[in-house]
Amino acid sequence: MRTTVTEKLTWDNLLPSEQPIYVSSLVYSFGVFTLSSLVFTILSGVIMAAYGPTWYQYSSAGDFLRSVHFWSVQAFFFFMTMHLVGQFFMGSWREGRALTWVIGALSFGVSVLTAFTGYLSRGDFFSQWNQVQSKDAFNGAGLDGFLNILNNGQVYGLHIAVLPLVLIVLVAWHLIAVRAKGVVPPYQAAHVQQKEGVK
Amino acid sequence: MKYFERNTLRFPQKDFDMIKEGVVSLGLVGVLVVGVAAIFGAPYRPAITNQDIANQKPILIMQTALGDLDGQGEMASYGPPYNNGWHGVAQNIQSIGPFSPQTWWGTPYHLNTATDDVLTPLSMLATASNDSALQTALQTYNLASYTQQQAWDNNFSNALNKATVQNGQVVVPPGNYGPVQLMMNDELALARSGLLSGALDRETNNGVYRWNIQNDLLFLQGAALHQYAKTIDMKGEQWGINHDEQAYPGPWWLTPYTFLYQVPPGSTSSSGDEIVAYTVAFLFLLLILVPFIPGLNKLPRALPVHRAIWRDWYKRLEQTNACASCPLSESCKKEFRGHAVTTTANAIPACYDQTSTKPAGGVRTAG
Repeated sequence: MRTTVTEKLTWDNLLPSEQPIYVSSLVYSFGVFTLSSLVFTILSGVIMAAYGPTWYQYSSAGDFLRSVHFWSVQAFFFFMTMHLVGQFFMGSWREGRALTWVIGALSFGVSVLTAFTGYLSRGDFFSQWNQVQSKDAFNGAGLDGFLNILNNGQVYGLHIAVLPLVLIVLVAWHLIAVRAKGVVPPYQAAHVQQKEGVK
Repeated sequence: MKYFERNTLRFPQKDFDMIKEGVVSLGLVGVLVVGVAAIFGAPYRPAITNQDIANQKPILIMQTALGDLDGQGEMASYGPPYNNGWHGVAQNIQSIGPFSPQTWWGTPYHLNTATDDVLTPLSMLATASNDSALQTALQTYNLASYTQQQAWDNNFSNALNKATVQNGQVVVPPGNYGPVQLMMNDELALARSGLLSGALDRETNNGVYRWNIQNDLLFLQGAALHQYAKTIDMKGEQWGINHDEQAYPGPWWLTPYTFLYQVPPGSTSSSGDEIVAYTVAFLFLLLILVPFIPGLNKLPRALPVHRAIWRDWYKRLEQTNACASCPLSESCKKEFRGHAVTTTANAIPACYDQTSTKPAGGVRTAG
């Protein structure tokens, strides 16, 4: 394991000073924009968590932080979706990068759950309504054994600790996987792919 | 002997400052989200309370409480995880054929609507206000036979359909309602005072601290919230969860999920929630497994979008004349411009090979 880590996590891989010349498109910035949005989501979320869940509903400073959190999440999902679509069109799971794709897609799923528990923690009509509406979905899917979606304590705990931790681990793993392999090369002509045995 | 090869090293490289990229991106996104937050804020519509409904629609509060008392209410006969239905008959158990995971866990979040929503809160009210009339009414109701209780409940339920509100009081025609009329009047008074929420919240939290708002929300979840939600287009068949309650972007990433509620069987089946949930789970599994699904994993090669993304690269290959001596250079060019070409099985030249500077075997490490 130590050998693997030493080989793959070199500074040259993690923070390369050069990139292949085919890295030349706006598509390549969606990933780093997604990550930046996540940073602002986490920062605003940590401040809100410090003050507690009534603060962001009843004070103007809390309201502002909640707005920053809201728009960070919108930016996060926008850039993440663009990133996902872009990577699909580049076939970026090729040449040993399947795991990178799988972790990325899982991150997307965990993000959706995290955002949903966030909507339920807003403490307004939207929370209230989605809580009573989604209970049938969670119950019907059989998640009722673990999750009481009407228990704010559980939902809030999932939102500010459990799910973000899972997401951060997945995103970190995704980044390391991307850096360890480098960005996927462009599609070659069909003749060349045949010759090199690339599938 | 192990070789590590970051296989992109076989391509020509250019200088790239990843730190700078990160800092610039953080700056741009920071200005964007803080700026937009400062200008537009974020949506917030105060939650609806029992008190609000009691003041605005007193008859609706009575109908809700009566449904909880006589078993006609949705939550009374819901089934797992809240109860086993009303007198053993559950209405809301979802299943796809015999597959009904909803029932696997029993009733961990127990709710008996008659006791929890009506009898217990009223008993607390009677004690708190030293109200012997209410005390007697509750005793009379509890000691009566089930048939008698149902008769009173039915009579009052019919009466509520003809009820009017006069000076804030719900007025019904005279009839045989036993203790039920007094009980419902007091339930309304309790809701109006704001204390009904406190009584309900108390039941799902075993002490001073309040985390679990189950019973409070389940009291409101039926007609009370649905009628209000409809006025702001938030119901499930109105793409509910997909848009926010005001003119802000909502959780649009749930569009595929919400879409399934707009078409059969999601829109029609009584097990629609379960069907939609497992359909989405299946679609998500497909997304995760795209690299391994034959056909789907080759799709982007067939689509022309990658040529736009890497247009500089393909242009460079043409300009540097990398394939000058290649017999198939013309067909390669055509292919990258989006035309279908046929491959000759035997002729496999190094056409458009992108590795013009090719290190032999990459970087060798000790080991």
